[in-house]
Amino acid sequence: MNVLELMKIRRIFFDGGTGSLLQEKGLKPGEFPETWNLLYPHIIEDLHRAYLDAGADVITTNTFGLNRFKFKPDGEWTVRELAKAAVGNARRAVEACGHGYVALDLGPTGRLLAPYGDLAFEDACSVYREVVGAGAAAGADLIIIETMGDSYELKAAVLAAKECSHLPVFATVTLDEKGKMLTGGDVESVTALLEGLGVDVIGLNCGLGPIQLLPFLKKMVSVASVPVLVNPNAGLPRSDNGHTVYDIDSNAFAAAMKKLAEAGAFILGGCCGTTPDHIQKTRAWCSDIPLPVLEDKGRTVVSSYSHAVTFGGRPVLVGERINPTGKPRFKQALREHDISYILNIGAAQQESRADVLDVNVGLPGIDEAAMMETVVTELQSVLDLPLQIDTSDVKAMERAMRIYNGKPLINSVNGKKEVMEQIFPLVKHYGGVVVALCLDEDGIPETADGRIAVAKKIYKTAESYGIAKKDILIDALCMAVSSDKNGALVTLETVRRVRDELGGQTVLGVSNVSFGLPMREHINAAFFLMALQNGLSAGIINPNLEAMMAVYDSFLVLTAKDENCAGYVGRYASREAEKKTRQEKKETALPNGSEKAARLDTGQVSGLKKSILRGMIQTAGEASREALRQSDALTIINEEMIPALDEVGKGFEAGTVFLPQLLMSAEAARAAFAVLKESMAAGGGAQKKRSKVILATVKGDIHDIGKNIVKVLLENYSFDVIDLGRDVAPETVVERTVTEHAPLVGLSALMTTTVVSMEETIRRLRDRAPWARIMVGGAVLTREYADSIGADMYCKDAMASVKFALSCEEALGVKEIPM
Amino acid sequence: MTADRREVLRYLGYGGHAADEAVTVLIAECENELSEAATPRFVSQMLLLRRLMDGSLDCGFFRTDSKKLSKTLSGCGQVLVMAATLGAGVDRLLARYGRLSLTKAVVMQATAAALMEAYCNELCTGWREEYERKGLYLRPRFSPGYGDFPLSCQEGLLNGLQAGKRIGITLTEGSLMMPSKSVTAVIGISENKEFCTVTGCEICEKTDCAYRR
Repeated sequence: MNVLELMKIRRIFFDGGTGSLLQEKGLKPGEFPETWNLLYPHIIEDLHRAYLDAGADVITTNTFGLNRFKFKPDGEWTVRELAKAAVGNARRAVEACGHGYVALDLGPTGRLLAPYGDLAFEDACSVYREVVGAGAAAGADLIIIETMGDSYELKAAVLAAKECSHLPVFATVTLDEKGKMLTGGDVESVTALLEGLGVDVIGLNCGLGPIQLLPFLKKMVSVASVPVLVNPNAGLPRSDNGHTVYDIDSNAFAAAMKKLAEAGAFILGGCCGTTPDHIQKTRAWCSDIPLPVLEDKGRTVVSSYSHAVTFGGRPVLVGERINPTGKPRFKQALREHDISYILNIGAAQQESRADVLDVNVGLPGIDEAAMMETVVTELQSVLDLPLQIDTSDVKAMERAMRIYNGKPLINSVNGKKEVMEQIFPLVKHYGGVVVALCLDEDGIPETADGRIAVAKKIYKTAESYGIAKKDILIDALCMAVSSDKNGALVTLETVRRVRDELGGQTVLGVSNVSFGLPMREHINAAFFLMALQNGLSAGIINPNLEAMMAVYDSFLVLTAKDENCAGYVGRYASREAEKKTRQEKKETALPNGSEKAARLDTGQVSGLKKSILRGMIQTAGEASREALRQSDALTIINEEMIPALDEVGKGFEAGTVFLPQLLMSAEAARAAFAVLKESMAAGGGAQKKRSKVILATVKGDIHDIGKNIVKVLLENYSFDVIDLGRDVAPETVVERTVTEHAPLVGLSALMTTTVVSMEETIRRLRDRAPWARIMVGGAVLTREYADSIGADMYCKDAMASVKFALSCEEALGVKEIPM
Repeated sequence: MTADRREVLRYLGYGGHAADEAVTVLIAECENELSEAATPRFVSQMLLLRRLMDGSLDCGFFRTDSKKLSKTLSGCGQVLVMAATLGAGVDRLLARYGRLSLTKAVVMQATAAALMEAYCNELCTGWREEYERKGLYLRPRFSPGYGDFPLSCQEGLLNGLQAGKRIGITLTEGSLMMPSKSVTAVIGISENKEFCTVTGCEICEKTDCAYRR
């Protein structure tokens, strides 16, 4: 009988702590416990036997910190042999005691995943695969992934466990006293992630004692559809003369464990500070408590790294703006790899209260899979909203689902056999809620009956892949009413019937309905309201449109989903006051004074130069639009912007303007440039760019703020900046410098330790790109230091790099680039 | 725990100058967002300090022949080893504004650094009082990277404290701590009060530093 079968018949128990027991046996501070698998196998085996004798059913191998970072391939011990030995020690204990299961233990790697740290997601998977492969081959019965504080690393470990073995996978995370993981996830988000990935048992361990874990355990039990495991510490730690001791004894521990069992915990065990005595008492106190009844909670839920969004309560708003369709500026951003532009669109929608962001970056001529991976990575590192991966490119879909930090929404599948065969295996493997369009090989059914039939077919096929109805959102599809007068009615009927007859959740792209009509907002808002009233679970909308949000907020009030109308009042009370003031103003305004003239009088609109000098980012764009009425873009740049930037730059050098002000001016100028660029593009002209500058933060260094400041300033002076990012290998810098024939390279390093790679980069540049001049900067550098590593120029701040770039260009005669 | 405004401005290169209103408002905004996002945590442990024959120091978690550390710890038989962090949420904020607003990112960096400093000071003040009750005195905290105390000691120090598992501090390949607003330090425990007063910036011998107080 395997462990999954046994745990459904009777309550099973995990073992307890290892570290403190090994310290008692002589493990020294700083010594790696995993080495004892080979050094003192009998001690490890005895430890396992002690737990089995105390009544543990599952023992965890002594492999918590086993990975290639601690045990290098060329070191004294390899990961493979330690894993094999660890499982061997546990297996011998099981055989000697005549019962028990061996759980291969996987802990955190000790490294932080990119983009915050420097461990790539796939590398993390591969670190875990190495341990899983060896442990499974050596005869482990299951895999326990534990003490995880980062949901992203957790996902890497689960994927490795599932892709490299067929063993049952248990996974437990560590929470702080507020119920949060180290990188911010909560019980609901991690439950969504783990259930999506198909983990067999989920739970909590370490960090807190059984008393503190109770509320979080209850929360997990209330949302989880799989059994819950809890392995607490022996209470809260305190330091007693330099030693860690825990605040409750084994009796108090067992009593608290009983409460956890009564609250719905399925499997019990211990973590730091717990001993065979703790486990024996826990078993004695808890083995008679009946197992909780397992039930599928039927929750439709997606998650980001930080939180979950559920469907079926307050209707969910999916922001539709990250999509190039019909947006020339967005297409340009994709072509130019301008990710910041896309991130800003995401941030604006979050501010407008989107719950989920749709991400569509498909454009002919770009590598959609690579772009999707970049955009999803960047979005999830900057914003905390769950994402809806929207693509018809299966490769892009899989890439995004794999690297997504949570349980995504997937857009989309439909009733076509071929599409279901492609998408459902991905949903099964990576987890997700999938949007299912009511169409198939025969097209879009004209009647609600037809669409319901397709929905049923999709549910049934999904089920054959092990995907439950709860993980599907039916998209009833919405046709333009201008071409089909009954279009909206059929859609609304379908939405209602999916809810009432199929008990399913629905989603709609709302904006299609008004295609071909003027003032589309009117139709969209009315249709959105009707769909909500017919039970729509989620709307894919533009949350920046006031009309849509007004309808949504009113709907919540009118359907008793906004307690005491608090949300509505909070949002609109101040607007009411504003409206009154505006009305009063209007009534008292001079008869022939236009509103614009009045605003000019109050001095709210200021000149472009003033906007830049004062760093007024908000007014700079408007001011340049104003300026364009009088003059052309090039004149504005040369006569207003550059002199303003020069003035600010001089002030900075003189010590009268400080860094934040310099940056505000630079950002104001950038906002103005964006407007001027559009105007030049419309006129068919383009601003002449200055020469190319390659910028990079050197290998090993991930501080990039200084480099980013230099970039913005250089761009304001029209340099063609090629930003290679941070942690850039010397060969990458050299290659780009050669292929771009760049006359100037800027390198940044913050740490003494990374100046070494700066030196290496310079050496290689001299060798292969002897024409390039090299400027360097960063906290640890000095002029002498820069000279000693062979740089042409040390720039003490960003303005200094602009000056050097200008002087280089002068020396080169502007456009001549030596080869 | 609040960031010292003068420190924030010093990090931003203001020296002794005052900030204008826009920047003052921005700092306040950053402070608010940071206190929402920060999850300050620490671990510490008292260790015996051994001086080896070759003059190097061994506290169990790491060995070093740093002269500067040796000087700071002269006469101490024990050390308090600490690791503290503002947590991953702060790095998310920094990344967010690094993408959305460079000005705010820079001010956020400075404010977060000052906040980290304030947190460490708060911890040290607490320990100082605790040890003084036992008749012991704490030396100023000294971190890997100060003077000739190499960053490579960071790994042993963090492993020994189990800082990864307990408070989420990890190292990159280049020995940088992540979350970025994290500090490790060694604090000498002494039976007499001398050498225990100089703290912070002034401990450093680089007197021509642009950011010196």
